[in-house]
Amino acid sequence: MVLNGSTAELVFSTADGSAHLLQPSEIENAVLTLFEQYRDPILRYTLSFGISVHDAEEVTQEVFLSLFRHLQLGRSRKNLRGWIFRVAHNLALKQRYANQKLCDTIGPGDGIAEQHRDPAPNPEEHLSSSQRRQRLLAVLRALPETDQSCLRLRAEGLRYREIATVLGISLGSVSTSLTRSIARLICADGR
Amino acid sequence: MASKDIHISDQELLLAADGELPTRRTTQVRTHLANCWDCRVRMAETEAAIIDFARAHRRTFDSQLPPVASPRALLRAQLAELASKTGVGSRSWFTHFNSTTGIAAICAVIIIATLAGTLVLHHSYLRAMDSNFASIERGAVPDPGLTPGATRTVMVDEVCSMPHEEVVREVSPSMRQKVFQEYGILNARAGDYEIDYLIAPGLGGTDDIQNLWPQPYRSYTWSASVKDALEEHLHQLVCTRELDLSTAQHEIATNWIAAYKKYFHTDKPLSQYSCFGSTDLFEPSAFHGNRVECSNPNEFPLT
Repeated sequence: MVLNGSTAELVFSTADGSAHLLQPSEIENAVLTLFEQYRDPILRYTLSFGISVHDAEEVTQEVFLSLFRHLQLGRSRKNLRGWIFRVAHNLALKQRYANQKLCDTIGPGDGIAEQHRDPAPNPEEHLSSSQRRQRLLAVLRALPETDQSCLRLRAEGLRYREIATVLGISLGSVSTSLTRSIARLICADGR
Repeated sequence: MASKDIHISDQELLLAADGELPTRRTTQVRTHLANCWDCRVRMAETEAAIIDFARAHRRTFDSQLPPVASPRALLRAQLAELASKTGVGSRSWFTHFNSTTGIAAICAVIIIATLAGTLVLHHSYLRAMDSNFASIERGAVPDPGLTPGATRTVMVDEVCSMPHEEVVREVSPSMRQKVFQEYGILNARAGDYEIDYLIAPGLGGTDDIQNLWPQPYRSYTWSASVKDALEEHLHQLVCTRELDLSTAQHEIATNWIAAYKKYFHTDKPLSQYSCFGSTDLFEPSAFHGNRVECSNPNEFPLT
């Protein structure tokens, strides 16, 4: 098994160079290799949706189990990085929606939600000692959600084409979104 | 100095910084930047903003990332289980089926009919597999870093003479909250989780937080009720002196699912202990003490 390129393309071939049907052990190894490589970026990205660390960990596990299933079913082995982030994006959104729904059902003051509110939606206040960083993050939070996602995905090293795939938008929209967001970050920094 | 109307746009500067421009255009932009201080300043601002943002993004979340060892071990275990379940893959069967159709060309009509029927079955099988994957034991095993298990010094006679209410005693509300907090679970409803002992009191397990974890009630093949069955079985084996108490403690703490398979001689939970898919389990009334009871254990037979 060979992991090719920055976008993570898995190449499995036989001695004569032809592709072959994957054995479960090969898939297992490939998934574990990708887990090592992308676990932290995926966790950071899913945490940015404001879900708890526990939920983000579960989402991450689910992503890589889904990847196993994806490969087991013989589906595309190209651009797995984009695939992984897309699945993580969808699962994180779903988790956030489920959390919000549950909050709405229980209401304020019930359960343990209020006592141990998730710090993730606004963790910067606790973690950042730099005023400049706080300013940047305040600008980020004020951006439309797609713009925030574009910036975060780019910060995790994804190419524009991958970001477009993850978010289901056009390449041009990614470029426009990033340009707009960077301009706002520059303004916020008073440059 | 280049005139203003031929300056590089902000969008192109960013594309150039991100390496997203075609090679030819990249060369043109570089040439322009070499001659235009205005664009170079804007390029520097763009790159500085990117660096600042990337740094802020990482610093914000990196401090929250838990160590990778436990999640890696959990994923490894889940993948191993998936690999063993899917070893007899549906694809190889399907491929084999396709080759036989070529040989049996004279029976084309029969084969087409068979194929149609089989595809439906195949699809159902894949859906069942999907469902199985979707429900794969998220939370069915504790985080070994948070819940390694904890025991007290106890004699076999003592655990075997424990009153029933001690064996199935519930965890206090304050301890429940601590466990939820430790696992970062928010918005937990009464019927979502059982705060379970990793090593059951009936096997010498304690109320220590290191021996407690939130086990989801719903939709798991390896549910709380299945674990309860294992606990009872191990307790029985210990009390009949067929199993050493410390071995029972070790095996249930290391991997209770593997212990279940070993002591029940099965790869799947026995149907009478499974509440797979039961919507009743969402209702707190379905619970008695710290165990789950299925209203109709045969209603959701395992495949």
